[in-house]
Amino acid sequence: MAVQGIWSGTISFSLVAIPVQLVTAVETGRVSFHLLHKTDYSRLTRKMICPEEGTEVLRNELVRGYEIAPERYVLMTDEELESVSPERSRTIEIIEFIDLKEVDPVYFDHPYYLVPSKGGEKAYRLLAEVMRRTNKAGIAKFVLGEREYLVAVKSSEGALELITLHYSSEIRHDTDLAPKKDAVTADEDRRVKKSIEKMMQEFDSGKYADSRRKGIMDLLMKKAKERPPVEAPVTTEEEGEGPADLVAALEESMRKVKGSA
Amino acid sequence: MAAGTVWKGIIHFGDTDVAVKLHTAVGEERIQFHLLHQPDQVRIRQQMFCALENRPVSAEEQSKGFEVEEGKYILVDPEELEQTAPENSRMIEVHEFVKTAQIDPLFLGRVYYLEPDVQTKGYAALARALRELEVSGICTWTMRKRSYLGALQTSGNVIRLSTLRYADEVVAVESLALQDVPLSEKELKIGSDLIAQLTVPFEPQKYKNEHEKKLQEMIEKKARGETITVLPPKRLKPTEPDNLLQVLEASLKKAA
Repeated sequence: MAVQGIWSGTISFSLVAIPVQLVTAVETGRVSFHLLHKTDYSRLTRKMICPEEGTEVLRNELVRGYEIAPERYVLMTDEELESVSPERSRTIEIIEFIDLKEVDPVYFDHPYYLVPSKGGEKAYRLLAEVMRRTNKAGIAKFVLGEREYLVAVKSSEGALELITLHYSSEIRHDTDLAPKKDAVTADEDRRVKKSIEKMMQEFDSGKYADSRRKGIMDLLMKKAKERPPVEAPVTTEEEGEGPADLVAALEESMRKVKGSA
Repeated sequence: MAAGTVWKGIIHFGDTDVAVKLHTAVGEERIQFHLLHQPDQVRIRQQMFCALENRPVSAEEQSKGFEVEEGKYILVDPEELEQTAPENSRMIEVHEFVKTAQIDPLFLGRVYYLEPDVQTKGYAALARALRELEVSGICTWTMRKRSYLGALQTSGNVIRLSTLRYADEVVAVESLALQDVPLSEKELKIGSDLIAQLTVPFEPQKYKNEHEKKLQEMIEKKARGETITVLPPKRLKPTEPDNLLQVLEASLKKAA
């Protein structure tokens, strides 16, 4: 499978277990720039540095730490973290099914897809198809890195979509925001509904483009006409600068399935 | 208690204007780890390096480039880039309404609660119409120099504004290259019956984050210098494709 998973394990419902990988379902649509050295236009690479020694830190020298007092950390290995809830760290166990219509959208956090690993294709297809037919979604909990996620698994065009949900304790109350007087006159009700009905369309996200991105692309076109692109010198180390924020990306991948909101 | 106002705007559609205040709807608090350099247990820092000279490069020595082809860049001035930022405005402009059920949760981003601003009219009528017609208002607005696409929705008396992802930010199912495996009607029937058996009403309050407390306990144990017994993660044996029907039948019997 060409897809690079964030996590691998099994998803189960009742006695059926399906080997799967978790993959991202969103990519940021931002125009991405690279940082160059002003003097020689060489591409800058992002390195992790130990401030104490001033030297580069390699990946295998990294460890996760919880700060218990200023600059005092309790170290935690991946194995120890997986050991906190061993029954959930490699298994997404659907405990029950629900009607997704009953879920207030305020609960939805971040979307992912599940893709079947070798041998899981048939059961995967079955789960996707029966959830489509019954219009139901599975509710499960699983642990990735240091977090436990409550998730809804639903069917989407033959794929299993996994959406992390907020716990109800994370949802703020909105009761004090409601209008004090709720009186809507029959006339007003009719007028607003009529106005909405006139503006009804089919949902098609494709018809909206990011105006900011368009502005940036226009600027780039203009700049390209003014002056030919600069050329970076060839270096032996052709690795680029890596993700926009390597530490954040690593912490992210170690800690959570969640991307930027 | 709702959090403070993050932004103020005016919902506009047809000849209706409703002034609102945005509040964040979700507040998360979690145990946070940092990445440390193992030998000396110091938090690591990041630094940009010039690949050619292999030395750190300060912010003043950096420029921004857009890669047009490999190794070729269009240089962009940060000030020019700043000018492409959209003009700020207070308008939350509704372009159309759609059936809420048509919006896949995949598109939904951050949610704000909208509070009616002082003396505004029409809030309650809009909330009621959105609720009763089961529709969402697809809108755009500009907040802190960023343009947003969003959906006005409600499930009660309070209107919510969810940011929507742009279509090209969502990974298409086709790119997952899923195989179409044939299934028998019997497998599908039993699978559907099983799901029906296992379906319950959605009650979010009953799901608690049990892990957080256990993690906290483990951290405390380690802080006291106690040894941790590492338990291997539970792994399930995948259901064999040829056994799927039997396993489904056994599941249904178990659920009944």
